[in-house]
Amino acid sequence: MSAAVEARPTAEPRPQLRGKPTKERHGFRTFEFALMAPALLVLGLLSLIPFVMLIAMSFSKVKTLGGVSLEFAGLDNWTAVLGDGSVWASWGRSLVYFSSIVILEMALGFVFAVILHNLLRGRSVMLSLVLLPMFLAPVMVGLLGRFMLDSTIGLYAQLMQALGLDTDVFAKTSTALPAVIMIDVWEWTPLVALIMLAGLTSVPPATLEAASVDGAGFLRRLFFIAVPQMMPVILVALLVRSMDAIRYYDIITATTNGGPADSTKIIPIRLYEMAFRFNNQIGRAAVVGLTMLVFSIVLANIFVKVFGEKGAAHVTNVAGDKH
Amino acid sequence: MNPLPNAFSRRTLLLGAGSTAALLALPACGGSSTETPTGNLSSGGDPWKQFSGTSINFISENTSPSAAIAANLAPFEKLTGIKVNVQQMDLDKVVEKCKLDFSSGTAQNHVIYADPFQVLAPLSEGLADLTPLIASKDYPPVEKGIEDFIPAQLQSLGRYLDEEKLFALPYDAPTMILHYRKDLFEKYGPKMKSDLGFDPTPGENTTWEQYFQMAEWFNQNAKSDVKYGIGCQAKQHDSLQCDFSNLLWAYGGDYFEKGQELGRLSSEDPGKVTVNSEAGVAAATFYKKLVKVAHPSSTTWDWTGLADAFVAGELAMCVNWHEFAAGEEKAFPGKIGYSVLPKGPVRRAHNFGGTGIGINANAKDKELGAAWLFVNWATSPETQLMSLGSKVGGGTPTRTSVYELPEVKAEVTKSPSKYPNIRTAPAVLEAWKEENIGLRPKVPQWVELDTIIFTELSKMLTQDGDPAATMAAMQDQMTKAMG
Amino acid sequence: MRRRSNLQKWLVPILAVVVGLWSAVPIAWMLITSLKPQTAIRTSGITLLFAPTLENFSNLFFGGNKVGSFLVNSLVVSLVSTFIAVALGCMAGYGIAHWRSRHSKGLSFWIISTRMAPIAAVIVPLFVMFRTVGLVNTLPGLIIACLSFNLPFAIWLMSAFFQQVPKSIEEAALVDGCNKFRGFWSVALPVSRPGIITTAVLCLVFSWNDYAFSSALGGPNTSTLPMAAGALVTQSGIDWGLLSALGVVVATPMLIAGLAVRRHLVTGLSLGAVTGE
Repeated sequence: MSAAVEARPTAEPRPQLRGKPTKERHGFRTFEFALMAPALLVLGLLSLIPFVMLIAMSFSKVKTLGGVSLEFAGLDNWTAVLGDGSVWASWGRSLVYFSSIVILEMALGFVFAVILHNLLRGRSVMLSLVLLPMFLAPVMVGLLGRFMLDSTIGLYAQLMQALGLDTDVFAKTSTALPAVIMIDVWEWTPLVALIMLAGLTSVPPATLEAASVDGAGFLRRLFFIAVPQMMPVILVALLVRSMDAIRYYDIITATTNGGPADSTKIIPIRLYEMAFRFNNQIGRAAVVGLTMLVFSIVLANIFVKVFGEKGAAHVTNVAGDKH
Repeated sequence: MNPLPNAFSRRTLLLGAGSTAALLALPACGGSSTETPTGNLSSGGDPWKQFSGTSINFISENTSPSAAIAANLAPFEKLTGIKVNVQQMDLDKVVEKCKLDFSSGTAQNHVIYADPFQVLAPLSEGLADLTPLIASKDYPPVEKGIEDFIPAQLQSLGRYLDEEKLFALPYDAPTMILHYRKDLFEKYGPKMKSDLGFDPTPGENTTWEQYFQMAEWFNQNAKSDVKYGIGCQAKQHDSLQCDFSNLLWAYGGDYFEKGQELGRLSSEDPGKVTVNSEAGVAAATFYKKLVKVAHPSSTTWDWTGLADAFVAGELAMCVNWHEFAAGEEKAFPGKIGYSVLPKGPVRRAHNFGGTGIGINANAKDKELGAAWLFVNWATSPETQLMSLGSKVGGGTPTRTSVYELPEVKAEVTKSPSKYPNIRTAPAVLEAWKEENIGLRPKVPQWVELDTIIFTELSKMLTQDGDPAATMAAMQDQMTKAMG
Repeated sequence: MRRRSNLQKWLVPILAVVVGLWSAVPIAWMLITSLKPQTAIRTSGITLLFAPTLENFSNLFFGGNKVGSFLVNSLVVSLVSTFIAVALGCMAGYGIAHWRSRHSKGLSFWIISTRMAPIAAVIVPLFVMFRTVGLVNTLPGLIIACLSFNLPFAIWLMSAFFQQVPKSIEEAALVDGCNKFRGFWSVALPVSRPGIITTAVLCLVFSWNDYAFSSALGGPNTSTLPMAAGALVTQSGIDWGLLSALGVVVATPMLIAGLAVRRHLVTGLSLGAVTGE
């Protein structure tokens, strides 16, 4: 769901000059739908078939040897997964992981964007530098994190040692999760910053010229004028990151692989375990997959409701001012 | 939905009870035994050349012998005219891809790195029986015969449930032994002996308790040379289970009622889970004590992390796979000693981590033939010798004859050695003896059990858990996982 | 000219440097490591003085892993899938932004929900599908796999961009007698160029970085660069020198792409590009 679509109801009352009466509804035999058709066809094939198979698998005993075959198993997989305390524990950790990542990345991304936006000289060089991490594959980033934090040869570990800090961040249940969170934050904050920077650029320049006012005034304008105008962009960043934060597991696979003592075993790791590492648990993996999908959809709905409408209202206001 | 179970049951009725063995033998594709396709034999009559022009894929974990083979495929291509694509990845990915590949009814990967626990046991139906290929007169014979493979390894890596079938040929044989810094033992040995009251040099007589005392001694008395006495591979990872298993067996425990037998031919009924025995709790108690005196990073290390630290000079001793010898020799030429593992109250056990290579049961015709030629070549004495001396590898031969070659024997005590891994030969040959080898159970659920074992142990180590409670929880979950 | 406050004169550049270091130090360290000989990497001490060597790069390209062909595969898959995703995404994004139907809300939600598919769970069904039609271990197969996550993303982002094209511009075009296609092709698309570039860069990044799909659906002939990263973690140790060299190889093309469109990223990258300055 995009902010754009949400914007429609608020935009409706304004005079429509698109050459047609306002209330006219579009059907499937229109230019607009024709433009969508090829993409919808591709997406339909790529998502509906797996989705149906996923549902079928969740009610079956899945055998893969000698061709995939399903044997109806009723609610076995569902009761097994929903009754498994370790899956719930894994969900709990996922929530911590997920909300930390998203909150930190949104906050830092915003800060990064404001800094870059106000940088007068060398902005493009700085932007290139800041964006670097997102160009590395997550699996590479995980390995790089492991390298930097390796207690024997890692640069950061040695710097931490020099500061008298505990260096075995992946060894302790208390620090392993924060460590993998920080690695993810390192990689994806730049993306959020990039999107936020785009949002800042669309805010009328005068609003944010730090030069014109003192610090306090600047912050006030930032939060009370710029942020509301940026709502649709914030929503974009929020959705992009939350969709992926719940799906991706490459970084953890490359670093702790769920340990120590399960402290980083988030739900996609558990899912992978069931689907590929353990024997004959693909049906259960399908159940976990479906619950993840439901979670993402519910979450996206909430975001769109909370941020979308607020943001859309502002977008229309700003647009109105312009014309 | 699946026609196979019905077909099976009907056949069972028709053929009667006497043929259950034949029924088990049915590969997933429904055929009977592996075919022995022939290629173009007329051209020159060289059996190696019959599949010339064929292209096959070999999927492997990124282990030393595969790296050595991937870097040196030219001899095979010259010998056979077959093109081999070697794809190396971590074991999880290998298993993922094998599962997907076996599920499709056709073969994308023809030669399979058949990890005994993650591929052989759970997916044996996806592997071709090699016996007909070995017996066929149309192919070059297995050099020096199947008997040349170290017997315990052939049984453990190649067979599963059925004595008549062979699913893989032993390809590598990493085994856990004791690695120690000879230079440090020379320097501190006499003082240690007088302090501790026993000869510290690791060997036949060393016990686990003494290993612990030496670790502590190094921590207190040798800080200027080495940070810690020992390190462990206690990350929440397979390695933690491997490290612990040595102790479990040494204390007389095992994972199942049927014990070590499950590591050989295995059985469809492994018996009860027995991990929560007195021996199990004693082993866990000792292991916890051991990790406490080990390098504090131990709980972040798998075998690689441990080897890195040992090579970086942070440890005086460690228990690790013997194939790390090549890297250690580079860092400390001639200064590393190898010995059998310390003994426990009941026995001495060395976790065996070897793997075989097999053929995808879905491979057909030329590709099947070419895959067999490759398996035959890749496990031959010449190739093992090549891999042993490879710059990128440093393999671990699985054939008796390789260890008996004079040029190999000569390298055992040399430094620099042409075959650095062979410096461990006296220790590993001892470790592979029936009474010393430690075999994990080949049951299809092993990966799940393994995960339970190392997760519970990890909790015990990092959250100061009670060993008895840990083993009880382990027993509980393992029993549940076995269904 | 207004007098610059201290805030902008000092604080902003200092903070910018901190932010730049936070992002760049690990990557710089990776670059340095890639030039180090093996002995300088595995020491417990920070080594900055060493004789630089290209050994790691030559091992990377000419060793057992044949990274050169991985690089080509990665380039083909990312570029082609990005092109298709952006082309179809522009069309569908425009369509959905202008489609006034009671289904539009549901449709756009469905589109974005396809991007949320749990990866490990959908690999099995996707593999079966791809295998049936012979797409496993082919470049087109990988391109299509990338579309599964890039297409919904492109549609969604582009619809947001098109939504923000001021109605007055499009209206003017329609008044001038343009038909709807011309309105899309000659008015909305050019105006949204920065948006298209942003979408393309992000799609490129996602497909370039994909590991889960490409490792499951690819094969020996179609391995991409992230696969090489997985392959370098060997049982007998991680060769950090090689891995760093690979990291440099992975990051460089993306960096070049990013630099090439920097002008747009810096000045034009804005969801409401035309409404801004």
